[in-house]
Amino acid sequence: MDIITQLQEQLSDMAMVAVNTFGPLQRDAPPDRLSSSYPDPLNPNPKPEEDAKPQAPAQPGAAPAPAPAPPPALPPQPPALDLAEHPKAMSHALVLAAKRFDALVAALPLSSEEDQLKRIQELQAENEVVGLELQKQLEAAELELKQVEALFNEATDNCINLKKPD
Amino acid sequence: MATSAYPPPPPFYRLYKDYEQDPSSAPEPPPPIDGKYEVFGVTREINEVLPSLESQGIRQLYPKGPNIDFKKELRTLNRELQLHILELADILVERPSQYARRVEDISVIFQNLHHLLNSLRPHQARATLIHMLESQIQRRKQAIEDIKQRREEAQKLLGESLLVLDGSQTN
Repeated sequence: MDIITQLQEQLSDMAMVAVNTFGPLQRDAPPDRLSSSYPDPLNPNPKPEEDAKPQAPAQPGAAPAPAPAPPPALPPQPPALDLAEHPKAMSHALVLAAKRFDALVAALPLSSEEDQLKRIQELQAENEVVGLELQKQLEAAELELKQVEALFNEATDNCINLKKPD
Repeated sequence: MATSAYPPPPPFYRLYKDYEQDPSSAPEPPPPIDGKYEVFGVTREINEVLPSLESQGIRQLYPKGPNIDFKKELRTLNRELQLHILELADILVERPSQYARRVEDISVIFQNLHHLLNSLRPHQARATLIHMLESQIQRRKQAIEDIKQRREEAQKLLGESLLVLDGSQTN
């Protein structure tokens, strides 16, 4: 794949990583405690001495939610995306993608337009010269081929004529 | 009985009835089109030019001018993009209702990046042309060498066979 298409693919990869960073975070975020007069949604049956800490939905290092008895509202299996690991992995991917983009940009073989046009003209002139030479060689070779064929025909005719009938 | 699914050939095949005997009796092929042409209801130009960002109503973030340093601008825009993504994350934590402005900024950056990459395509086309010319010259030179070599071999063989014939004649 040419380098410009690779760069374009890198761009769309970065966009994808950005979308996938915020999407699951917003989708899987645990509910937040609105005020101390409402019960903590993560810990509906707290012990009296437990202090309830409010949790921001988008924070990667989410505060742990200790629950002595598992609340019945939790799903039976743990969520597939660990809220602490997901942003780390995604930000790692984003930085990798950005680094690859920079590496591809550095590898771009750029030159000015005039240089390119000059080189094209030089190459065209050289192509003409080489083409003429090729044409000359080809014509000479075809001529020689005709001569050899004529000689061969003569030789075979002589062979046939000279061969004594039995 | 069944209606034909295969349309008949274009009617002007009749004009080429005597092409074998007299090639000039048939009409010439149409000349190449210049300027605008229509394909499947869409009008296009011969010289397709990338429309500038202003004509599409998008803000241009990199400096205008005849010579743009593509690598520098691409790298700068990449940094800006990363910065804006971080800002978006921050905004979502602090003031989630103001995400729209940041998202719009990020999309403007992406559009600028894509526009820069698209304006590199003519350069790539010229580079492809250069590469094709170079490989054609290479192949022609190779062919010349091959022909020369074969001719020399043929001459040598002819010379040898002449010697053999002369030798057998004198015997």
